[in-house]
Amino acid sequence: MKTEDHSSASDEQLVKAAKRGEMAAFEELVARHRDKIYARAFSMMRNEDEAVDLSQEAWVKSWQRLKQFQGESSFGTWMTRIVINLCLDQLRKRKRQRTESIEEMNEESGGVERQMPVVTTNPTERLERAELRKRIDAALGQLSHEHRTVLVLHEFEDMEYKEIARTMECSIGTVMSRLFYARRKMAVLLANLKTEELK
Amino acid sequence: MMNHDAQLRLQAYLDGELPEQEAAEVKGRLARDPEAQLLLAELQNTSKALSGHEAEAKLPESREFFWSRIQREIQLQERLAEPVPKAPWTSWLQGQFAPAGGLAFVAILLTVLVFHSRAGAGQYGEMELASDDMGAYTFRDQKDKMTMVWFYDRNNDSQFTETSPFASVVPQ
Repeated sequence: MKTEDHSSASDEQLVKAAKRGEMAAFEELVARHRDKIYARAFSMMRNEDEAVDLSQEAWVKSWQRLKQFQGESSFGTWMTRIVINLCLDQLRKRKRQRTESIEEMNEESGGVERQMPVVTTNPTERLERAELRKRIDAALGQLSHEHRTVLVLHEFEDMEYKEIARTMECSIGTVMSRLFYARRKMAVLLANLKTEELK
Repeated sequence: MMNHDAQLRLQAYLDGELPEQEAAEVKGRLARDPEAQLLLAELQNTSKALSGHEAEAKLPESREFFWSRIQREIQLQERLAEPVPKAPWTSWLQGQFAPAGGLAFVAILLTVLVFHSRAGAGQYGEMELASDDMGAYTFRDQKDKMTMVWFYDRNNDSQFTETSPFASVVPQ
């Protein structure tokens, strides 16, 4: 494949060329998927600099492991898994460095929020797409890393419980508990954002 | 009031993670439990709101700049992974200086030994006699590594008697 053909080539063709050592083909893959990979890192880390660094690290790792990619999933999915694992490693390192507070321990098990009254109205009804995205992003930012991650993996990456448990190195029970708590907390946060808007 | 296990089962039902038998049980409960119905509705609303509504984030760096960072890091990693080749002249130097170094070591060792040996000889060779009437002769046998000292009476003409009572042997 000639260098000038890269922009019209499929991901599969680019991966093949990159496996042969063609850096230009890999550059095209980076250009195509860089925003998606960065967005995933940012959704997990909630920090622009960390997200840039981790997405860069993910690209370097993917170049080094390109031969291991057998095309069982799409290249984009494979890359996303790499950046998710790097983010989780970073979050684990950060967690080891800090002392868990009682509040965090409550969050882990669901805490008092488990007993919260159900939000009976749909707080996102009739919202414009852009506004909805903005609110969801704001609410996600208020969750702990553990709850945000499980929500991101389930709702945005469509992972099953088993896969999330493997990725996050925890039990399926923990995944279910965290997901339940995260969803309930999100419902309350979105409802609060609506209430604030009405005031 | 639903217990936590029932809440999680309801959520698993929503996510399609329950086996058929358990899903049927949850469905049965939903038909008669308004609290379960409300909770399911809340979970569904949140799930629907999230699905496909992830905030769009764009990498805050230009294509060229971001790629240059990645390329530089890849090249650095590849350089670090390569085994460091030895310059040909370092091997030549090693060949030349290894025997010389060995010789230098042997020379230093010999010097130290000889110096030590001489210092030892001086220690035993120098003798002071308290009495002016006494004289002494020493003989060092290098082969047997021993020093012999003869004491004699200066006033006595017959200096060397066969049975000198003061002869002593100092082994080295």
